[in-house]
Amino acid sequence: MVGSRSSSAAWLKYVVLAVTLFLFIVPFILLLLNSFKANQDITANPLSLPGRLDLANYTNAFDKMNYIAAFTNSLIVTVASVLIIALCAAMTAHYFVRNNTKFNQYTFLLMVASMIIPFQAIMIPLVKVYGSLGMLNSKLSLIYMYLGFGSSLAVFIYHGFVKSVPAELEEAALIDGCTRRQTFFRIVFPVLAPTTATISILNVLWVWNDFLLPSLILTGPAQRTLPLSTYNFYGTYSVDYGPLMAGLVLTILPVIVVYLFAQKYIIRGVMQGSIK
Amino acid sequence: MKRRSRTSILIVSLLVIMVLSACGNAANNGQEAGGSSSGGDGVKVTLLNSKGEIQQPLEEAAKAFSASNPDITVEVSLVPAGQSPFERASTLYASGNPATITMLDTGDVEKFKDRVLDLSGEKWMADTVPNATEHTTFDGKNYAFPLAIEGYGFIYNKKVLDEAVGGDFDPSTIRTRDDLENLFKQIEATGKKALVISPMDWSLGAHYLPLAYATQSKDLAEVDQFIASLRAGEVDLANNAPFNGLMDTFDLMMAHNIDSASPLAGTYERGPELLGKGEVGIWFMGNWAWPQISSFDTADGQYGFLPVPISNNPEDFGNSEISSAVSKRLVIDKEFSSPEQQAAAKKFLEWLVYDEQGQDYLVNKANIIPAFSNITIPAADPLGKSIQEHIAAGKTQQSMSTLPADHWAQLGSSMQKYLAKAGDRAGLITEIENYWKNVK
Amino acid sequence: MIKEKGWNRLLTRLLFTGPTLFAFVTVMIVPFLYGIYLTFTNWDGISTTQSYVGFQNYGEVFRDAVFWKSFGLTLQYVFFSVVLINAVAFALAYVLTKGLKGQSIFRAGFFLPNLVGGIVLGFIWQFIFSNVLVYFGQQAGIPIFSASWLADPDKAFWSLVIVTVWQYAGYMMVIYVAGLMGVPNDILEAASIDGANGWTKLRRMVLPLMVPSFIVCIFLSLQRTFMVYDVNLALTKGGPFKSTEMVSMHVYGKAFLSRDYGVGQAEALVLFVLVAAITLIQVYFSKKLEVEA
Repeated sequence: MVGSRSSSAAWLKYVVLAVTLFLFIVPFILLLLNSFKANQDITANPLSLPGRLDLANYTNAFDKMNYIAAFTNSLIVTVASVLIIALCAAMTAHYFVRNNTKFNQYTFLLMVASMIIPFQAIMIPLVKVYGSLGMLNSKLSLIYMYLGFGSSLAVFIYHGFVKSVPAELEEAALIDGCTRRQTFFRIVFPVLAPTTATISILNVLWVWNDFLLPSLILTGPAQRTLPLSTYNFYGTYSVDYGPLMAGLVLTILPVIVVYLFAQKYIIRGVMQGSIK
Repeated sequence: MKRRSRTSILIVSLLVIMVLSACGNAANNGQEAGGSSSGGDGVKVTLLNSKGEIQQPLEEAAKAFSASNPDITVEVSLVPAGQSPFERASTLYASGNPATITMLDTGDVEKFKDRVLDLSGEKWMADTVPNATEHTTFDGKNYAFPLAIEGYGFIYNKKVLDEAVGGDFDPSTIRTRDDLENLFKQIEATGKKALVISPMDWSLGAHYLPLAYATQSKDLAEVDQFIASLRAGEVDLANNAPFNGLMDTFDLMMAHNIDSASPLAGTYERGPELLGKGEVGIWFMGNWAWPQISSFDTADGQYGFLPVPISNNPEDFGNSEISSAVSKRLVIDKEFSSPEQQAAAKKFLEWLVYDEQGQDYLVNKANIIPAFSNITIPAADPLGKSIQEHIAAGKTQQSMSTLPADHWAQLGSSMQKYLAKAGDRAGLITEIENYWKNVK
Repeated sequence: MIKEKGWNRLLTRLLFTGPTLFAFVTVMIVPFLYGIYLTFTNWDGISTTQSYVGFQNYGEVFRDAVFWKSFGLTLQYVFFSVVLINAVAFALAYVLTKGLKGQSIFRAGFFLPNLVGGIVLGFIWQFIFSNVLVYFGQQAGIPIFSASWLADPDKAFWSLVIVTVWQYAGYMMVIYVAGLMGVPNDILEAASIDGANGWTKLRRMVLPLMVPSFIVCIFLSLQRTFMVYDVNLALTKGGPFKSTEMVSMHVYGKAFLSRDYGVGQAEALVLFVLVAAITLIQVYFSKKLEVEA
């Protein structure tokens, strides 16, 4: 596919893409630049280059955020939630598509509709219910809630893609004596790999950066995730921008790494899919 | 086939690990929580801080307190940015998991009065400054500990003003609107700009506009009466002298504002920078801005407050008084905290007021102006000092700290409209009067 | 499909849908119903007592002119944002699935905006709009940039749209990329041999196959933009003078700022019903499209 075009058109395309990309990442460059600067230099001129590579903000953020502990908490919550959501949602979506009864249709519709519920509308009832059950301040409850909140979107996305998996493939497997479960795990789930990777990326992003839900559920400092500990830099009227930006860079770096890694996996998954 | 099974094994084992580790943590927490409430080997007190800039000093104070009281640990958590103290505290109450000590704004204490301890019998009650507990006393019982006095007005950069008046600037010479106008012109004659108006709704709605209510009378009861008449729709603001005087001063400020070309474009961060660097002589703000001003300071730390004049009669109330009041309160939970925790919380408050170390953290580390007369340490920064001097000289008026909770947001936006000249004074008056008639 | 029987069937059902639905119902539906119950009381979020007030809170919703005004404003905002987000996202995804060198770097780059959220995003964009663009406009003599966009009600609205597009285009691009990768290459190659040009291929082959992705992305962008809160708060705070206060922000302020929890909760419900109606109509019609395509 590459090289089928004239080189000037390809160049033009690159230039347009590069300019667009630049517009997209300008704020991110600003974030990175300013994470090396002192607070007054940031508010005076966020565009100026840092005078020198000063890591003071990073060490400050690292200490204040209790980075290692918060990172561990975030990692546990994110990995567990993302895996559980992907697995459960894929199964549910698959079941809904293959058993297209009225009940399943309405349940699916209910799940889609629930995505429109503003979080603020269930925030207080949620903590009231789970507070009275004594289920707060535990990562396990948080992971469980991520399944509850995240499954709708995941089922919704899977639902569209499960349809593109030919039903004949599954029927053949069933005739060969596989059970529904085996069929799903051996045939369907692997074929859905690119979708799973996409959903997982979106979920990693959401769970890793989520602030409001963990702030309600994880009340003890020992349980804090990265976004929660970043908030140590906020004042009532002003913000300590230097360490905050350093903290944010530290928070999002792992996600970028995961994203670049997952990219490869998506491509590989598609290639496997096309071999089938 | 091979990679499929490897992937699934990986997923399953990861899941198992995650669930196990999460379980392990949950179990540990259970023990921690159990330990704290039973109070066997130590009491754990939690404090919900809603004043972000003192988070660090508070945590240090908590450590110092535990060092001298080894059986008590105090754990400080912060109200997240974007959430109000009221929202956070009520959410925590809803979850059955409130902090032992919660820091609230003055106006919110009443909502919580059924859930927090009566503190009328505490030792520090005898040492509070005047007007420290009136707003948190209901049916003769005081429910809150007054934490900090805050004040606001025109902050001036003395170096800029010295240059403008050609000598040593004396703040007591500014007693009328004409004096202020003259000063603005003197500053502008030196090639600088007179002042910057920060256009945030909270600054205009919670600090500037309420001066119109507070300057109605020296007598606080009459101010309360004025608010009651506003609610009843009986006030004719168009013919109200303090209100019009204040807005005339605002017109003057608008005319000399450095940002007059685009008055709503500025951010909070712009104010301390312009003032600290001496690009303007005056900024309407409060003593909490000191850390930001000091990071741009070019005047050797010489700053102070000027009152906002509302008329040309130097004798009028408000022309020589700056606005100040207790702004943050601590309440102690009585519903979910054990008696040991409550006692420990009380001990912590007492430590802040009477222990030398506690006083030091309050005044020198957290830059707070305490509301207790027994604390004699002078304020640590020039703005705090300026407020203390005004208090000592009796030159203060009580800030309006029990306005309806959405007053700043609703009328702050009306003030913005006026500032941007997108509305006139008649429109502003209509919006203020309507707000008060409809507020709950 | 081969039918399973009795216990086995139930077991399969439980295994496949049980965990998801249980979590979904207990985490979303139960609190939601409880929230509905609260709208019929005068509970203010903190008081220890509450009493039944019937439909009074809903009456107030319909009398709250500001709520309906901000809902109208939100509709405009949603329309422009959704159209622009999906146009940009699809264009990016289309170009970045052609096997360009370094396309995964480009994709990661376009995706970055999703990683910076909340107040910092607001701070940086606020600076860009009120300082960088103004400086640029004054130096280059371009009047439209010479005054801060955030200080003008109309331009502040467009600033919000721009930041929203910037934020979500990369997100939707990822979904479009996943969809485009599912378009079989052999079909396209066959079409090329038959002499179809790029535009015809896009219109005749790619777009019909992309309908599921469009449904997902349009739904998601509808949902995100209707619920906009963070960007609104961080960038304009509803200003200047409440001219860009979107409906979520109004509802939030009603519940937690004006201490009118019951009315705020009721407004959230009314909003839910309205938005649900709009998005479900969208999903319904595009599902039909999917069947026809």
